[in-house]
Amino acid sequence: MKRILLLRGAEFLVFALLATIPKFVENPYALGLLTLLAIYGILLIGLDVTVGYLGQVNLAHVAFLGLGAYAAGFVVTKLGLGMVPALLAATLVGLVLGGLLALPALRLEGPQFALATLSFAALSTTALNELEALTGGAQGLSLSRPPLFGHNLTPPLFYWLCMVLLAVVWMLMRNLLASQWGRAFEALRDSPIATDAMGVGTYAHKVAAFALGSSLGGLAGGLYAFNFQYLQPQSFTYDLMIILLLGVVLGGRKSLWGAFVGASVIVLLPNLLSNRLLFQIFSGLGFAGALAAGLQGLYRKTTRPFQALAPVVAMGLLVVGGLLVENTEDWRKAIFALMLFSVVVGLPEGIMGFLSTFLAKLFRVPHAPLPEPADIDTMLPIRPADGSALLVLDDLKRYFGGVKAVDGLSMTVRAGTIHGLIGPNGSGKSTVVNVISGLYTPTAGTMQLRGVALPIGSLYRVAQAGVARTFQNLQLFGELTALENVLVALKGVYRNPLPMVLLGLARREERSAQAQALALLELIGLREQALVKAKDLTYGAQRFLEIARALARKPDLLILDEPAAGLAHPDVLQQIEFIQRIHQRGITIILIEHHMDVVSELCDTVTVLDGGRIIAEGTPDVVQRHPKVVEAYLGQPPQPELPGGAEPLPA
Amino acid sequence: MNAQIIGQMAVSGALMGLVYALIAYGFQLTFATSKSINFGQGELVMISAFFSLTLTNLGLPYWAMVPGGLLFGAIMGLVVERAGVRLALEQKSEGWILLSIIIGLFFFSAAENIWGRDDRPFPTPISADPIHILGVDVTRLELSVAVGVFAIMGLIELFKRRTLLGKAFEAVSADRDAAELMGISSTRTVMLSYGLSGSVAALAGILVSPITTVGPTMASALILKAFSVAVVAGLDSGFGVVLVGMFLGALESLASFYLGSGWREAPGLILLILALALRPNGVFGKATIRKV
Repeated sequence: MKRILLLRGAEFLVFALLATIPKFVENPYALGLLTLLAIYGILLIGLDVTVGYLGQVNLAHVAFLGLGAYAAGFVVTKLGLGMVPALLAATLVGLVLGGLLALPALRLEGPQFALATLSFAALSTTALNELEALTGGAQGLSLSRPPLFGHNLTPPLFYWLCMVLLAVVWMLMRNLLASQWGRAFEALRDSPIATDAMGVGTYAHKVAAFALGSSLGGLAGGLYAFNFQYLQPQSFTYDLMIILLLGVVLGGRKSLWGAFVGASVIVLLPNLLSNRLLFQIFSGLGFAGALAAGLQGLYRKTTRPFQALAPVVAMGLLVVGGLLVENTEDWRKAIFALMLFSVVVGLPEGIMGFLSTFLAKLFRVPHAPLPEPADIDTMLPIRPADGSALLVLDDLKRYFGGVKAVDGLSMTVRAGTIHGLIGPNGSGKSTVVNVISGLYTPTAGTMQLRGVALPIGSLYRVAQAGVARTFQNLQLFGELTALENVLVALKGVYRNPLPMVLLGLARREERSAQAQALALLELIGLREQALVKAKDLTYGAQRFLEIARALARKPDLLILDEPAAGLAHPDVLQQIEFIQRIHQRGITIILIEHHMDVVSELCDTVTVLDGGRIIAEGTPDVVQRHPKVVEAYLGQPPQPELPGGAEPLPA
Repeated sequence: MNAQIIGQMAVSGALMGLVYALIAYGFQLTFATSKSINFGQGELVMISAFFSLTLTNLGLPYWAMVPGGLLFGAIMGLVVERAGVRLALEQKSEGWILLSIIIGLFFFSAAENIWGRDDRPFPTPISADPIHILGVDVTRLELSVAVGVFAIMGLIELFKRRTLLGKAFEAVSADRDAAELMGISSTRTVMLSYGLSGSVAALAGILVSPITTVGPTMASALILKAFSVAVVAGLDSGFGVVLVGMFLGALESLASFYLGSGWREAPGLILLILALALRPNGVFGKATIRKV
């Protein structure tokens, strides 16, 4: 509780302070800067959704600022409507165009995403320039600030409007990003495949995140239009985009405060550049900071030499350049570049990331206490193991070009059993799992779950149908805690619609979700590490966590893809026990495994694959003695007359 | 008459498109070894062209200036690799996107201040007089672009196929980890690819500047189209970029004729977004199979 009070108190204090400033400060220049701070604050909160939470380099945000601004200008000048419709239109333009851009861009990652957004930005500049009838082209568009509810918006009133909107955006986004939505955005960044496989649609979330961020860009654009009352396409170019990225990265990603700090930097930057003395002081401070941090990093060996030295060199260039160059304004892009470079390399968490770690150490504010774990029997009731056919595969085929990875597989998995799937490397086990779970589309054949055709070629829809899986190569959400990893996948708890979430009225379900997630963590012995980031867990714990996360889907069928791979012997024993616990709850399991001891200990039935076909099926004992199985694993049986030494094979 | 104009526009557009193809080829080189591309490649083209201009103004003959420019481009490519790409690759992050944009911005600002903001002519001994071929006018200058582009692409492909170092390059492209296990340093190979890519960018600058003039803004004009070509063709499409580059060049020359010069860039951008949506691996690219 103390933590929440501290955070809310700080927020309240800052906004109260900002709100009272016009009462004391008459200086119109300062007021103008503060108004811009509010506008850029909204803009950067929007940009942070894609850059911070989705972790994608988004180069289109400046275009949404421009499009929003022009939309507001159009509504006021051409349609003659007032302030409220104009701002709504600006937001809507961002939302709709953002969604439209996200639709094609949604399959893309990293560089391709950056390119798509870059092209969109260039295209929108072209459109603003060329559609002269609507935008006035390169001549620009003048507009006047319409009254709001009959009040003429003087500079202080307009400032308050911007601040109120910033506060509203702040609150809504804080609620959203702390909810299941925010977690899903982050999960997407760490592993899109696992996000889909956990039944959280990457599709919907990526589009939603992008559209949401862009709508804030549009809203900021509307305010921008009324602030400057004159629009030109050249204002919304690549240069500004770089400055916006500087703001988000320098302020600190994934942080509302970071966006605020970033906005302050952006607003003050022109003053910094035009005043020589100020520039020298700040570049000197930056250099000293980089040097101190770099030396500390080198001394403690926490950073690589390049990471420690490169920012020092960059800031050094800034200091030396500041002394040599006559007009710093001419070099502004180089100055941005050097600052951004130092921050990206040397302070990747940004100012707020650094500060929050620092403050957390200083005050030692404990995390809000977690609820008691929910009762596992009510959240994951024991199902009767009736032995009926749960999953039926019929003549399943998957070819990769000429490679027949799975070639006519028919198999029945009975409810309540542990069904082993084994075979030598390259026998097609993983391909089978990937086809069932929807990562691959089968070349031919049918799959039925409880007599209903299983969705094909969509991880998301298969997950929705009641199949959960783990991954042979771990696909955890590394930046999320163990608890959050489970929460992302948790099924059947989050029911509140988006507006309730935005207004922060969904706290109760969050508590019950936490209780359920803790119960699952307890089941696999990770309750004590609930608040540790997944990437910081031991390898064994990460494997266990994958299982807990899959269980959060409350699945009918759980597919474990080599759950003991790479585990030390004690962990393997532990793993066997966990799988037995899950089995006791009546959940059907398909187990792919190399460890024969694990297979024979756990499985009721074993199917053996080789070359994409079944070579044997039955109880572990029977299968182990099957001559074809022995041959597949060990090669041709040795001739009897060969000199001995080898153990006799079971006949 | 109309057909002749269209033919003329298409041919000179396609020849310009070869420059985009060459820059796109530079993307392919680094993408092959490191799955990264330099988002500041346009700035590399621009500063290399400015540097070559300075060499020419110092009195160097054309044939001595070209190697000088290529060397400069290679060095700048190595700077990008060292400062912007290596750390991100070591951390397996996509930080190189932002860092290469940042380094490009720095180059841009440096060029603005060292060489000025104005566009400047780029002297060349190759004549700009038109020759008639099959009813269209082509200048020797435009033809020199084609010759230069095919020459350097051919040389690099020969290098990759015939020399030991080139085979190492191919090995790292095919499987980085396996190549490392065979004793090939992937870091050095990535450096090599960035050096080559820088040279390719420099040559693109030297070839295009006599036609378009040199100026800081040439970077952004070229880079978007080169991106389009690289993505539409596919980042591992080899000579696919040549076809797409020529097609895009012709298309944009026709668009600026029929829609007005302001819309010149639009077809490329729309093509890019469409290609990303419909065929993220490009028209000539190979689809990758997701593995988990």
